[in-house]
Amino acid sequence: MRSFIERVAALVVILIASVGLFYIGREHKVFLDNKTIEMEGQSFRALKFVRVSVAGKDPIELMPRDRDLLAVVGPSFKLKVEVMDEFGEDVEKTIERELKPGFDKDMMLSMPLLAADRDDYILPPPTGPARPPENDVKPTDELVIPLDAAPPTD
Amino acid sequence: MTQAKRTFAQKLSGFFANNAVPIIFIVISALAIPISGFSATYLIQELLIRIGRNSFLILSLLIPIMAGMGLNFGMVLGAMAGQIGLIFVCDWSIVGIPGIVLAMIIGTPIAVLLGLLCGVVLNRAKGQEMVTSYILGFFINGLYQLVVLYFMGWFIPITDTSLVLSRGYGIRNAISLMNIRTILDRLLPLRVGPFDIGSFHLGYIDIPVATYLVIAAFCLFVVWFRKTKLGQDMRAIGQDRAVSDSAGIPVDRTRVIAIVISTVLACFGQIIYLQNMGTLNTYNSHDQAGMFSIAALLIGGASVTRAGIGNVFLGVILFHLMFIVAPMAGKNLMGQAQIGEFFRVFVSYGIIAVALVLHAWKRHNAIMNARRSLRGAPDKKEAAL
Repeated sequence: MRSFIERVAALVVILIASVGLFYIGREHKVFLDNKTIEMEGQSFRALKFVRVSVAGKDPIELMPRDRDLLAVVGPSFKLKVEVMDEFGEDVEKTIERELKPGFDKDMMLSMPLLAADRDDYILPPPTGPARPPENDVKPTDELVIPLDAAPPTD
Repeated sequence: MTQAKRTFAQKLSGFFANNAVPIIFIVISALAIPISGFSATYLIQELLIRIGRNSFLILSLLIPIMAGMGLNFGMVLGAMAGQIGLIFVCDWSIVGIPGIVLAMIIGTPIAVLLGLLCGVVLNRAKGQEMVTSYILGFFINGLYQLVVLYFMGWFIPITDTSLVLSRGYGIRNAISLMNIRTILDRLLPLRVGPFDIGSFHLGYIDIPVATYLVIAAFCLFVVWFRKTKLGQDMRAIGQDRAVSDSAGIPVDRTRVIAIVISTVLACFGQIIYLQNMGTLNTYNSHDQAGMFSIAALLIGGASVTRAGIGNVFLGVILFHLMFIVAPMAGKNLMGQAQIGEFFRVFVSYGIIAVALVLHAWKRHNAIMNARRSLRGAPDKKEAAL
């Protein structure tokens, strides 16, 4: 009985450790989006010039209609957004937030919504390119097993 | 005096006979190094990287040899388990050291199950463990391909579309491990040099300290394990199964444990190997793991029945020295690097064949000597004296 309890305890510890590793080691793709967006009947125009720093990394500059991507690791990170004037010289507004994606994978941050001090600035990430139809020619670097290949008749 | 001379000559010939493979490799490497034209700095750096990359895999072979089960060709089962762990870690985007540890945690239960299966099968094929485990590797490879090529992305959810074939299920041929590449090697980096010893110059050399600490821990584990009750049981079984059984040692159970430990360690070894390489060839990476590890161990002077930590490190140094210098030496000698590459592959497989033939020959001789001694006749060596 004691041995059984020890085994169950070891299993529980390993499971907890696994969840912990998943939580602290997860990489999140963060899309920075500076496009005009419609939300609740209101239009939020793209910012003329914005500088974004994520998790203390080098800042990224975004112009209207720009979208950039970066990766951060860990359950939380800090976001610093500097809304600049149209010449990119003076900072008009600085916004600092702490984001906690936790177990979630990717996210998209809307700069116009963030600049408008709205709480719904975290958007679902854009979906990837559509899959090619089944009868498309497959790329050569993929494994193709000719299951229905006819045997040589010669 | 004559007797003493004979004894010395016998000792010398015995030394050469027992260490023929490492001596041949040392001679070949000594000839190939100057022809290759590589600098000492480059060779040492490459060797340090390759020792860190491969030692863990080769060390995983020691325990089954201790239990008298020969060279565990079934270690590819553990390698496959490690690769499945890495596929999940890539899919979930777990990076860095947590990614490596999580891959090990995912791979462990799979490796335990595969090791149990391997152990049970090998218990039914006593005396033929090597060929059985080799064929079992092919069988499990088929199952692995079924799971990875058809179930993943369909039955087993894979969310990262970059890992999945364009048809919607099955994992791609090659997976980039950039997020965990050399992460263990870079955990505790140490740069030494440059050194100037007379006219001999040695540049900067990077030492992957963390990887070496993991390998050292494994070596300590092997040393400690040999002294435990289980380790002693394994050694006894390796010496004589029938006597061990009579002494009350659970032979079958102990053999299964030896294979399970080896498979789990091979799983960890494959993860360490692949994090250093930075690319996972989904359908090929595990194929060569067993063959090259066994070749390296044999080149280090080990045999089917006897292997130690020293054989592992000597083997990995000699085998990989050959890997590094042979293509360039072949190119400089013949004008084609492929010649050296062919030579290296020929040597790798040839050395396994030679070791197996030597093992069969020694075993045959031992049986014949035992028969002679039962008849009361002196054995061959004594008769020669």
